[in-house]
Amino acid sequence: MNDNSTNTALLIRYMDGELENDELKSVTEKLATDNSLAAELENLRYAKEAVKLYGLKTSIRSTHIEMMKELNIPKAAAPVIGMRQILKYSSRIAAFAIIVLGITVLYQYFTATPEQLFRNNYESFTLHETRGVSDVSSLEQPYKKGDLKAAMALFNQLKDPNAEDYFLNGNAALQAGSPSEAIKSFLALQQKNKSGNTHLFEADTEYYLALAYLHNNDAASALPLFESIYADSNHPYHNKVGSWFLRKLKRLAAQK
Amino acid sequence: MAKGRNFSDIALLQLLRSDEAPDDAIRYLYRSQFGIIKAYINQNNGSDQDAEDIFQEVMLTFIELVKKDKFRGDSSISTFLYAITRNTWLNELKKRGRSKIRDEKFEKAKDSTEIDVSHFIINRELKAQLMKVVDSLGDTCKKILLAFYFENLAMKEILKTMQYENEQVVRNKKYKCLKQLEQMMTEQPQLAKNLKSVLFYE
Repeated sequence: MNDNSTNTALLIRYMDGELENDELKSVTEKLATDNSLAAELENLRYAKEAVKLYGLKTSIRSTHIEMMKELNIPKAAAPVIGMRQILKYSSRIAAFAIIVLGITVLYQYFTATPEQLFRNNYESFTLHETRGVSDVSSLEQPYKKGDLKAAMALFNQLKDPNAEDYFLNGNAALQAGSPSEAIKSFLALQQKNKSGNTHLFEADTEYYLALAYLHNNDAASALPLFESIYADSNHPYHNKVGSWFLRKLKRLAAQK
Repeated sequence: MAKGRNFSDIALLQLLRSDEAPDDAIRYLYRSQFGIIKAYINQNNGSDQDAEDIFQEVMLTFIELVKKDKFRGDSSISTFLYAITRNTWLNELKKRGRSKIRDEKFEKAKDSTEIDVSHFIINRELKAQLMKVVDSLGDTCKKILLAFYFENLAMKEILKTMQYENEQVVRNKKYKCLKQLEQMMTEQPQLAKNLKSVLFYE
């Protein structure tokens, strides 16, 4: 051992009360004059006390486990408490989200108007090809170009409009914001199909007529048409009509 | 209380001040005090786990105070433990940021005659930090140092429980272990300062 380690060994023996006579006297005298030695002794005392505290804590811990069994206290599960808190906060957030969602849904339900339903569901009819008619309508070109006024003006000049003329005129009027004119045209087409025992533009007409009623603020007339489309899973517009939409529509129809 | 030894306050303090193992005293305190402390913690926003943790902390503080002669029986042990519990738990609530109105009310409502133990309540984190330092010594070191300084065993007795050739080897090992701990203090002055406040309530 070098001088430092010899000193430390002596200090430990001094601290533990193992020195006697000359050794004790010598260390006591050195401590009185050597500050660094005194500081080392102080730290050794702290170290010793730290060990004793550690021992006491360990002893309490083991007695604690023994006593929890004796007192018949089930082990408290700290992590579960943490998880409970997480779940508590999560469920609060979820409950809050559900309440917000519920309020939103109820708000939408009670504030819906026919016009609102129309705007949320209307998509203008896109003319790709002429279906089921032998003679092509003169309204096709202006309608395709989006010249709705020209299409409607052309229709008014026709002496004997065909099914497509009625249908395109109805859609042009609906798009142009003249739902009553659209309704007239669609109803005329339905009458023409009925009298001629034909089914030209039948499904399209049914759907766009229903929308025209909505746009005309007539939920009661729109309802049976939408109900019929919803009930017929083969209807080409079946997927555009949902149960929530129908609920709102029924409420509006009942108000009238 | 059907099991274990019963103690008067004086007998309990005598045992804790002695070099005897404190286990019987701790058991007695669990049987006589744990229910009261647990009820208090549960009534003040604490879980069962909190009650167990706080009670262990209170035991540690109480026994240390008795050993250092800071508690001389000026009040009953039960009253003193209750006061330590209240202070320790209030500190814990403040630390957790739950110092709500009810805690403030609790402070205001404190009986003016209640003994003031706030200066004995040491930060739990500080204690935990110091326990970690001792823990870092390794099993052999801890075993030798605890046997010598906590269990007060003689070198001859320690030798019987360890795989060393003779007492001098154990003595040398004990020297190295304590020196290692002392060096940690020297290298980290803040650690020594913390230890001083924990150990001597300064």
